[in-house]
Amino acid sequence: MSVKNWVLAGAGAMKLRHLLLIVAGIVSLYALLLLTNVNPGDAGHRLVKGTLGLDMVNGHLSFVSANAISGTLRETCPLLIAGIAVFIALQAGLFNIGVEGQLIVGALTCAAIALRIPGIPGIVLGTIGAVIMGAVWALPAGLIRAYRGGHEVITTIMLNSVAIYVTNGIVSGPLKDVKQESPTTPTLADSSRLPFLYNTSNAQISSGILIGLLLLVAFAFWLRRFVSGYELRAVGSNPVAAKLAGVKTAKTIVMSMVVSGGIAGLAGAVQVLGYTFRYYQDFSQGYGFNALGVALLAGSNPLGIIPAAFFFGLLTKGSSALQVLGIPKDSGFVVLGLLIIVFATIRYRKLISVTES
Amino acid sequence: MDFTKILLFNMIALGSPLALAAMGGFASERSGIMNIALEGNMLVGAIATALIGHLTKSPWLGLLGGVSAAVVLSLLHWLLTQYYRMDHIVSGMAINLLAFGVANFLDQKYTDPTAGEIPTLKINAYYTVAIVLPFLIAAYMRYTKGGLRLFAVGNDPSKSRQMGLSPVKVRFLALTITGVFCGLSGALIVSTARYYTDNMTAGDGFIALAALILGSWRPIPALIACLVFGMFKGLEIQLQGVPVFGVHIPREFWFSLPYLITVVALAGFLGKSRVPAGLGKT
Repeated sequence: MSVKNWVLAGAGAMKLRHLLLIVAGIVSLYALLLLTNVNPGDAGHRLVKGTLGLDMVNGHLSFVSANAISGTLRETCPLLIAGIAVFIALQAGLFNIGVEGQLIVGALTCAAIALRIPGIPGIVLGTIGAVIMGAVWALPAGLIRAYRGGHEVITTIMLNSVAIYVTNGIVSGPLKDVKQESPTTPTLADSSRLPFLYNTSNAQISSGILIGLLLLVAFAFWLRRFVSGYELRAVGSNPVAAKLAGVKTAKTIVMSMVVSGGIAGLAGAVQVLGYTFRYYQDFSQGYGFNALGVALLAGSNPLGIIPAAFFFGLLTKGSSALQVLGIPKDSGFVVLGLLIIVFATIRYRKLISVTES
Repeated sequence: MDFTKILLFNMIALGSPLALAAMGGFASERSGIMNIALEGNMLVGAIATALIGHLTKSPWLGLLGGVSAAVVLSLLHWLLTQYYRMDHIVSGMAINLLAFGVANFLDQKYTDPTAGEIPTLKINAYYTVAIVLPFLIAAYMRYTKGGLRLFAVGNDPSKSRQMGLSPVKVRFLALTITGVFCGLSGALIVSTARYYTDNMTAGDGFIALAALILGSWRPIPALIACLVFGMFKGLEIQLQGVPVFGVHIPREFWFSLPYLITVVALAGFLGKSRVPAGLGKT
């Protein structure tokens, strides 16, 4: 397809009302920036420096801060893995809003195991435990959707809240580090941490991101080349046709939900073993919701998760970089909300018929 | 006051904001629009009530501001789901995120912790409205043309279109109502506390949704569910550190109870749930 055709196809898909929406989004962001009394140029400069570590030195662009880019990658990693979790469910036509809850349950399980068992066995068992707990936390949503027809979104929202209260209860009770004021577990020993790919005094890059990338490649391969992956997509794109073709739709729905939950649990484990080295109250900063944005932005290609997750990583790191200018950190959620709206209106209109079934 | 009196008071005080939001959810879901954005509507209602109440020193203008802000946000949900045909869940999620970000932004930038309490109306008036409203809605649904239309559009949009109704218009009105009730609920929450604190609604919008589901999308059972949830919240406050039957129950247990009950209900263990047949259809 030539560039001209591509542009024409893009313009055809984009209606005037979509254009209006994009303009409205940009205008509201700009209005927000004006309200903060921040010079947009200054904000942009800080954003690039704080996320990518690039700055103008003597008139040409150069790399000045490894700390900034490692921070961005640190934010990208949980979004990458959690994004895969949301993406799997989305391929089966399910919204796993519960990634948030599955992630924190997995993280707490992993921390609890890795604190008891030191070294590599602790890492392995902790990860397995996290995957299992994440899957268990997603199971009711899958079962209720498949056999009772209850909407998975409602179930997962409820289970998210339960997860938050249960983990808070455990981390401020039995697993609390007695030496600390705030509710947190003790810190993991050096032997039960994931190795660093790059480690200097001011910047570390954990191998967690590598796990995420490998998982993504394996997942993309499975989705395209395995019967179960094909069935998953069949159920997602047309459940009635899939059922007539002999796919066990109920089983596929439960399976995709459980796999999605397991990967969300893995995201929690990697976060504990590779980055935070402990579990603490309010562990997740909305990873599950950001991951939904990542999966929506990725479109229909699993490899699209990589740029989408990186973009959201930039957004998260960027909003903390902009805090210095007096822009509240959580304003990043406004950007996230607007992005989801714009992308979902343009690309995801068909999902209505999918979730209707 | 003795234990029962406090319990009853807490039940009404903590159940009322839930009931108002649940009625908002009722209007939306009965018209066929899935609405997980109740939480966001409430939060924006709360921050707008606090800010405008402060600026104008008038409780009425504060309330008006809160309700209008929630209506605007609720109508955004209408615009996205009906005009842009966006998935109801995605739209609701996005609106919650927007509301959370905007409320946090306004709170950090404009509220002044030293400015003192916000002006409020009589709290008892809110409670009365919250308790009476579900009965009025039940009567409206049963005895009026408007109620029947709402019911029809929510149950089968395509047939009601053939009957000469316009689902999109009915839903516009329904979501306006949703905004009003959620705004009232947010205003009540901030008026009770007399100060705005960050993420003040703290999941109440989702509890209201849970109550609506438990009540099988009917107003009076939903009210009862809200009051029961309010009572659990009150029990949590009252029983802090007090053993029940010799056991110390962690407060997290009481917090998570409404959600657990809802999951059990969704699994069909508490009788058949009657979902509006046209929920999520266009």
